[in-house]
Amino acid sequence: MSKLTSKPPKSFGRRVFDILSGYEIAVVSFTLLFLLTFFGTIEQSWIGLYAAIEKYFNIDSFFVIPRNAAEKVIFFPLPGAYWVIVVLSLNMFLGGIIRIRKGWKKAGVLVTHFSILFMLIAGAVSSLYKREGLMTVFQGEKSDYAQSYTDSTIEVFAYDENGDRKPPLIVPNHQLRALLPTDTLTVALEELPFDLKISNYLGSSEMALGSEGETAKVIDGFVLREVEPEKEEEMNMDGCYVSVMKDGEELQELLLWTANPNPVSFVVEGVRYGIHLPRQVWPMPFEVELNKSVGEYYPGTRKASWFQSDVTKVAEGYSEDYEIIMNHPMRHGGYTIYQARWDEPEGRPFSGFAVVKNPSDKWPEYALYVAAIAMGVHFLVMLFRHASRGRSHSKSPAESAS
Amino acid sequence: MRTTAFIALLAPLSLSVSCHESDRSISISKSETRALTLFDQRFPGNIKDIPPLEWRRIPGTQMRIINYLAGPDDSVQIFLGQSGGGILPNANRWLGQFGLPQAESFEAFQTIKVLERETYLIEAKGDFGGGMGQEPKKNQGLIGFIRPSGQDVITLKMTGPADAVAAERDRFMAYSKSLKFVSPQLLSESEESEESEESEESEESESE
Repeated sequence: MSKLTSKPPKSFGRRVFDILSGYEIAVVSFTLLFLLTFFGTIEQSWIGLYAAIEKYFNIDSFFVIPRNAAEKVIFFPLPGAYWVIVVLSLNMFLGGIIRIRKGWKKAGVLVTHFSILFMLIAGAVSSLYKREGLMTVFQGEKSDYAQSYTDSTIEVFAYDENGDRKPPLIVPNHQLRALLPTDTLTVALEELPFDLKISNYLGSSEMALGSEGETAKVIDGFVLREVEPEKEEEMNMDGCYVSVMKDGEELQELLLWTANPNPVSFVVEGVRYGIHLPRQVWPMPFEVELNKSVGEYYPGTRKASWFQSDVTKVAEGYSEDYEIIMNHPMRHGGYTIYQARWDEPEGRPFSGFAVVKNPSDKWPEYALYVAAIAMGVHFLVMLFRHASRGRSHSKSPAESAS
Repeated sequence: MRTTAFIALLAPLSLSVSCHESDRSISISKSETRALTLFDQRFPGNIKDIPPLEWRRIPGTQMRIINYLAGPDDSVQIFLGQSGGGILPNANRWLGQFGLPQAESFEAFQTIKVLERETYLIEAKGDFGGGMGQEPKKNQGLIGFIRPSGQDVITLKMTGPADAVAAERDRFMAYSKSLKFVSPQLLSESEESEESEESEESEESESE
């Protein structure tokens, strides 16, 4: 008898599958996400939104130690949110799609799980591939580029004989952001007869005129000083020293600072080059002409209460007029252009357009519709089953007997 | 068994391996080139210039929107800025820094066309008496232009040791002719020319 009821032992693979697809991982993941969101929200009030998102949700954050304003540890180390979501997605796939009993009665649940998984994947795609920047245009002017809010890049280019710039070579932000002030990065530039040696890279700095008794290195009369980071990351200006090297010899030492609007220059082999450290420039496949920029401030402040822009989009020889209002963006080939800022310094109105390109922009919305329909179907199925059961229970004994 | 396996699964999440090199090298290929945009046609004060190869551009300041170093040991400074005060007061301030007699009218100065307008050339040589945050210096030179611009003036100035300034004089004069206003970001050229005509008129009426 006992031989008939005992189950055969599970294989190792099956046991791993059971763990990965089990409720335990789902419960722990959701608890961790709650704690991460809770401490992240608290900490952003001290370190700023950008720094909090970087700390808690970045792909590089394998674990996080919640701290208070005085840098004191306030909770146990937690795994980074990105990786918790990866585990949750795996768990959702194995448990909610593979392991779940299949059948028309469970169809709604299955589709809902699939939608949630799709939403998590949309978040991952957005985190990896979403680009955003700010396009600032004054009324009566046009623009064909946006700039990153926070990421700076080193651009180096040659000038032609008319004083115009040739297309710049870019040292990408991820290479610079990884640098500590004590680090050195040597950059070999293809087809250019020199290398760059980047040192003392500071993520939050100020450039000032070098005064007497200055302890910092003075270059061309200027010094670079590290300053306390601002809570709003876009207010933090990057800065560094760059040596122009040729055959191991330093030709020129330069100081770069993000807020310096113009490139500095040097000459190598009879060619004049420019170099600077601007916020990453993002060329657009269209031009935005700002015909009219209007807005209003909240009373007694310089904070805009509403704003609107009349623009002409010019792309591939065609122009089209648009009205960009706060929640009414303009779209073009995967780019979404919202108005995010407005101001009128010295009577010159300008609009700040947030440009976003996100391949998964609409995915969460679609996933939400599908999940809502699937849950609706599931509830209807359950209601129908409940009602059928109720009818069969309410039959009289005589009817049942017959 | 299940609990142990579960903990083992989560453990790697709590571990972070950090490797950091203090001295790295990378290569940037030509594919990392960015396409040119209007960003690359921005010029301080909308003034485009073509400097000689011997000059080196350094960061600008509020008073020096275009800033160069030249000469032996970068001893010569060339800079362009905009300031208030009119032509004569600025010219006399420059002359005064060298202890030279004050001019009573514009006629004392040679004129040359810079940025499409008649502009006054001021030259001085001798001991610089200091000022504007600079120490007194012996045997210095100055060559500068003052150009009216609405209520203000645009100044282009070269200072440094007298010999070095003299050696750069030809390049400075050629450079001053390379300056031109450019505004590729403006919606139409007609707007730009109307604006400049208006400002020309106001400048002329002012100088009268």
